Amino acid sequence: MSLLRQELRLFLRQRIALPALLLMLVLSAASVAVGLAEIARQHDVIARIQPKQAQDEGTVAAWAGKEGDAGNAAYYTFHATWDTPSPMAFVALGQRDVAPFVLRVRALALEGQIHENETYNAELALPGRFDWAFVLTYLAPLLLIALLHDLFSSEREAGRAVLLAVMARSQRSLWLRRIALRAGLLLLALLVPFVVGAAVSGTPGSQAALVGAIAAAYLLLWTLVCLAVSRWRQSSLANAASLASAWLAITLVLPGLALLAINSAIPVQQGIELTLAQREAVHAGWDKPKAATMQAFLRDHPEWKDKAAFAGGFHWKWYYAFQHLGDRAVDSKVAAYRAGLEARDAWTRRTGWILPSVGLQVAIHRLAQTDLAAQIAYQDRIRAFHAALRRFYYPYIFSETPFREADFAKAPRWRG
Amino acid sequence: MSALRLIAWNEWRLIRRSAVARAALFMLLALSAIAAFTSIAHRDESDALRARFQAQADAEFDGQPARHPHRMVHYGHFVFRPLPALAAFDPGVDAFTGSAIFLEGHRQNSANFGDVRQSSLLARFGQLTPAFVLQVLGPLVLVFIGFGTIARERESGTLRFLKAQGIAARTLLAGKALAIGGIAALLLLPALLSLGWLVLAEQAPLSGALLLAACYTAYLAFWVAAVVAASAIARDARSALMALLGLWALTTILMPRIAPDIALAATPLQTRLETDIAIHEDLRRIGDSHNPDDRHFAAFKAATLARYGVTSVEDLPVNYRGLLAMEGERITAQLFGEYAADQSSRQRRQGALATGFGLLSPAIALRSASMALAGTDLDGHQRFLDQAEVYRYAIVQGLNRLQAEAVTYADDGSRNKDPEAARRVRIDPRHWHDVPDFTYRAAPLAERVQAAAPGMALLLFWLIAGVFTLRFAARRIAEAL
Repeated sequence: MSLLRQELRLFLRQRIALPALLLMLVLSAASVAVGLAEIARQHDVIARIQPKQAQDEGTVAAWAGKEGDAGNAAYYTFHATWDTPSPMAFVALGQRDVAPFVLRVRALALEGQIHENETYNAELALPGRFDWAFVLTYLAPLLLIALLHDLFSSEREAGRAVLLAVMARSQRSLWLRRIALRAGLLLLALLVPFVVGAAVSGTPGSQAALVGAIAAAYLLLWTLVCLAVSRWRQSSLANAASLASAWLAITLVLPGLALLAINSAIPVQQGIELTLAQREAVHAGWDKPKAATMQAFLRDHPEWKDKAAFAGGFHWKWYYAFQHLGDRAVDSKVAAYRAGLEARDAWTRRTGWILPSVGLQVAIHRLAQTDLAAQIAYQDRIRAFHAALRRFYYPYIFSETPFREADFAKAPRWRG
Repeated sequence: MSALRLIAWNEWRLIRRSAVARAALFMLLALSAIAAFTSIAHRDESDALRARFQAQADAEFDGQPARHPHRMVHYGHFVFRPLPALAAFDPGVDAFTGSAIFLEGHRQNSANFGDVRQSSLLARFGQLTPAFVLQVLGPLVLVFIGFGTIARERESGTLRFLKAQGIAARTLLAGKALAIGGIAALLLLPALLSLGWLVLAEQAPLSGALLLAACYTAYLAFWVAAVVAASAIARDARSALMALLGLWALTTILMPRIAPDIALAATPLQTRLETDIAIHEDLRRIGDSHNPDDRHFAAFKAATLARYGVTSVEDLPVNYRGLLAMEGERITAQLFGEYAADQSSRQRRQGALATGFGLLSPAIALRSASMALAGTDLDGHQRFLDQAEVYRYAIVQGLNRLQAEAVTYADDGSRNKDPEAARRVRIDPRHWHDVPDFTYRAAPLAERVQAAAPGMALLLFWLIAGVFTLRFAARRIAEAL
């Protein structure tokens, strides 16, 4: 113990030690604070929209309920959905700043609604967010390099290496102590703010522990890189330069090349194709023979075959039938689009096995549920909700049951 | 002069001999080349794809069968934002802002399908473009190559030797700066070549390309000055390296991420959902066409009847439903305009604040100027949104006018009961051909330069700061010798 205290004293006496540790602590704390504030803002937005949404539904209910036309109710009522951030989201804000986390849908064709974007300032999103995952991925290795690049070489350069080798009871444990002390203190400075943040946000202990372990593993990996470079027995200066180049390659250059490779290997343009095609399909519905439309609809929804008949030029039954068919017409394109996105994501995960920076980001964003997969999962839930909305309105529309003001409250509710 | 050239020449010789410097240079040049080729290919491909989609959407619109004009209002139109040629140099926010908007009556949809939402989180590591290579990696290579330029001479004692030869500190620093500046010029070369290609082969504006080149030159010149000055001032080569790496990490990696957070906190934005609800509410307040007793629409009806000198809408020479649709669209479009103007002014304030951090980070200053000059900044996107809205309003009102003039009120009212009326309200599809196609008008250069002015001014500030630091370093060296 006293040996360790002695090492600590020696270490802290170095010019770079305390500033580096303090900087790590400040950066980590700042990123946790920024993350928590952003997640609090997102919770606020979700809370803020509830009364507005209720009031909006109320006004529709007031006039559409008077007429009692279910078609109008389904047409004019927007239903709110939202994607509540996970407790861990403060660690890695991920794609939540560029993808909507609140979205309203109607019982009309969904593909024209689900790809809507959020309003956000693209120039501010461009550099990426300052979150804890960023501090861990980019800045922590830099500070570790600052602390470890001259571990052996400084003793050599000061002419103490031989003396140390002779005096130490065990050389191995001496260096192990020194390395563990430097890397451990840095990890501590990094993790303490995170633990506080995790407690504040109510992150389950097991998840927080997992993130802690991942962070420790990442720093361990960089420690090994530092040790490997120091085996070349270069000067402190050359060590610093070599390590900084390694950092540059691992955190900036190689991920950039990987993105280029993945995005050009897996082009994704079905998004626009499917919205163009879906619009054609929906609007062709106006010109197709109504009987054919209803027949096609009944293949999907045979339960309404006794109630599908109607008279006249326009009927909501027919309108909602071709809305649904418009979505069905692009099923394969939707699947292809999704497959393209998932393939990009899968290749990113594979890249993560080779590139520690990418692997770390993938793991943390998965735990925080802020990655592309989380965005797709939210869309899946919207699809399920939309299906529930249709199931809710169809009985009114097909049985021609009046839709009264009280019926509005019976509509399916989004569970966040 | 010859001493200066000799110092520079000597430094180049050293750099050429150093394996690390050669590797760093080669790496960066290779990356620049990869970035330039892929970026140009990606730009061409995206632009061609958008043009193809636009042509498809135009053809589909023109090819619609005979329809009730209001059906066409809902059928709507798609417009696509073309990519300026200089986007191949700096794509800016293009990957973030969607490039396709669906235009329809009564609604204002968002621009969708930006690359970032369609990419994995790798996209947030930064895209390898010529701009990124020079903004982020360029300075680092200069740091690696130049941090020891004077510090090493001092450590090995050759600095005193130079003094003995009667070389002034200023000449020494100028010579070193010339040498590192030569390396910076080499780093710039692939970017300049790609800019040249864009001007010659892809009709990029020459003056825009020249200004971009000037901005990047100023940026790297600042870093040359910083590297040489740090090498002269620092205690030893390692301290110089650490200080420069710290400066780079702070100004190039950290500040650009912190600035947006501060700007976002200072000026929050409303979500689309809230704007949507607010517009609905305003609409109901101004005039609710569902409400038969609504005051606004009652007044509108009275005014219309008075204008035509008739007593009932049936007697109007035009289809009152069409007029009603036009009035409704006028009100919604006005609200869309107000809310969009509010959002865009908030975003402008956020952008101005974030660019202000260019006082602390030359990378922020350069990024702002670069995007503006390339036409890939938020202004460029806002321009597209504005033009799309103008176009949306024009086609929707054109179609509403057709409803008023080419469809009779009687037919319009009985189209769902009388098949003959239903046939008559479907007007000739030649009308769809008459709707002009959308053409995006890019910002004229003067406007882009104006948008780039704050960034360029900040770069100038950094350049001057660099020169002053060099002079300060020269005085320090002169004292120390």
